[in-house]
Amino acid sequence: MESEITGEGKPAEDSTPSPPPRHERLRTILHALRSNKGALAGAIIVSMFFVTALAVFIAGLLHTRITPYSPIQQDVGPALAAPSWAHLMGTDELGRDVFSRVVAATPNDMAVSLTVIAFSLIVGAFLGTYAAFHGGLVDEALMRMTDIFFAIPGLVLAMAIGIALGPGITNMAIALMVIWWPPYARLARGEALKIAHQNYIEAARLSGAGRFRILLEHALPNISQTLLVYASMDTGTVILIYAGLSYLGLAVRPPFPDWGQMVSAYQDYMVSVPWLPLFPGIVIALGVIGFSLLGDGLKDALGGS
Amino acid sequence: MNTVSFIARRLFLAIFVLLGVATITFILSHSLGGNPIYAWLGKAASQHPQLAQQYEAQYHLNDPLWVQYYYYLSGLLHGNLGYSPSRGFVPVVTVIEQTLPYTIQIAFFALAISLLLGVTLGVVAARYHHKMADKSIRAFYLAGICSPSFFAALILLIVFNLELHLLPSGGSVGINITAPTPITYIPILDALIEGNFAYFSSAIQHVILPSMALALVNFGVVVRVLRSSMLDVMHSNYIRTARAKGLKESTVFFKHGLRNAMIPVVTLSSILVTWLITGTIFVENIFAYPGIGQYVFQALTTQDYPGIMATTLVFALIIVATNLVADILYVVVDPQIRLS
Repeated sequence: MESEITGEGKPAEDSTPSPPPRHERLRTILHALRSNKGALAGAIIVSMFFVTALAVFIAGLLHTRITPYSPIQQDVGPALAAPSWAHLMGTDELGRDVFSRVVAATPNDMAVSLTVIAFSLIVGAFLGTYAAFHGGLVDEALMRMTDIFFAIPGLVLAMAIGIALGPGITNMAIALMVIWWPPYARLARGEALKIAHQNYIEAARLSGAGRFRILLEHALPNISQTLLVYASMDTGTVILIYAGLSYLGLAVRPPFPDWGQMVSAYQDYMVSVPWLPLFPGIVIALGVIGFSLLGDGLKDALGGS
Repeated sequence: MNTVSFIARRLFLAIFVLLGVATITFILSHSLGGNPIYAWLGKAASQHPQLAQQYEAQYHLNDPLWVQYYYYLSGLLHGNLGYSPSRGFVPVVTVIEQTLPYTIQIAFFALAISLLLGVTLGVVAARYHHKMADKSIRAFYLAGICSPSFFAALILLIVFNLELHLLPSGGSVGINITAPTPITYIPILDALIEGNFAYFSSAIQHVILPSMALALVNFGVVVRVLRSSMLDVMHSNYIRTARAKGLKESTVFFKHGLRNAMIPVVTLSSILVTWLITGTIFVENIFAYPGIGQYVFQALTTQDYPGIMATTLVFALIIVATNLVADILYVVVDPQIRLS
């Protein structure tokens, strides 16, 4: 693919520079992460969350656990105990270990955010590029549809869809997928419009490549960078909205732990043990900060829009 | 394209979007527990067989979907949003009439605080960019943007109520304070008009924490946009001209720079309103503030389907209207803007 852009096609007068080869891009990213303290911090936080999520998930498959206590077992300590070495984040009203609950809930948020972002990336990239390249009715329909989605706040629509589907992590992930892809389609469309009349696309068209081949092999790789930068900055927002849905009781049923739901359950004990609802809240904020810093760093390094 | 046809086009788009939202809620109302009557009366429909029958006839629930769709839309146009099981089966419209003014109050103060905080810090960040002040401001707003609004609300509640005992923990006004007579139907405004200062000061005290919580998690976007637009503007030719004329740097910065850099903030305000309104769902619940957000929370936890569908529509209506106003303002503020 790269040879077509930089080689025979020779788009010397092309206004937009051709994207650098992939290994060079990777080097830019790594360099940016090393030189940008914020991005590095973001990368470390995000990796911590993913490693934890993965470890909890694998431990679950092996019927064991990595948390110090069972996240749902009651009376592992005195109820509403303050943080201590035995219970890093204290215990809740039923004597469950809060730290274990927070750790055990990590896979929920990570899985939901990854699924929603991956789905939006794929659907948005395809629809947006297709609309940009073929215009007409498809384009108009897509744009008007995204107008509608833009008018309703994501959380409210996700709530309405969520209540129709019923509570549950999977249903919330579906609700979020339904509402999440439109900005990606818009972004992909805008980016694809920029390259639609570039020489290498024309060349591919003249050489007899079919529409889908042009989309897949020529258009998508060239707009993927912008989309990925946007996606990395957007992941934190999914975590925030999912935490909101969870807080509203739409995601996980008690006794199973989930960050948002824990804040909502623990806020009743705020007067006597104010730290209790704050711990899961801090963890949510930390995760979002991680993705935000990482996304900002990638944007600086790769120059997204 | 001239201004009139631009506005006409926007208006048409707004109507189209609202129709789209109504279509979505119509589709959703048919997936609620299998019986579309739930969308109007909730699961309590079985306790009110007469009303259920009336609704089935009125909305033609036994007819083909497109017939139902027609009656659904015409019902909405007549302001019929069903009955709310979570509020003692009163019409949803009544609940919205009672709660919306409080949400407008919170949203207004939250917007005011967000803009005040955002513009001030944005200006400081641009003035001292890449300096310590800029970096600290970035850390501050990043922490805000990344926090869920319920988390910010809890922190404020713990600090200002439980620890410092400065502000009330919840409600819209202190007990035993007579409410003002409704004139504009927005209590704080009515109290001010009537001269009911006991109500006014108490209501202001009650609105500070919830609107602060909303502002804290949302003002960051104002800083971000204003800072970068300010930095762009300060590099433009007319700023160089102004400096070359020998104007004072503060005049150049505020009069020539800031005024032009504020244009993107106008558009941003409509997005901000969307976020603030959504945030009320969490914040009003924590502060027991009797607005539409608290109603949404209550409706969700009690499976009050009519309430959820209606509030989805109301939220969309507010947002479409805000966007329309922002679009028109944008043209007014910046006549150079290409109307396309």
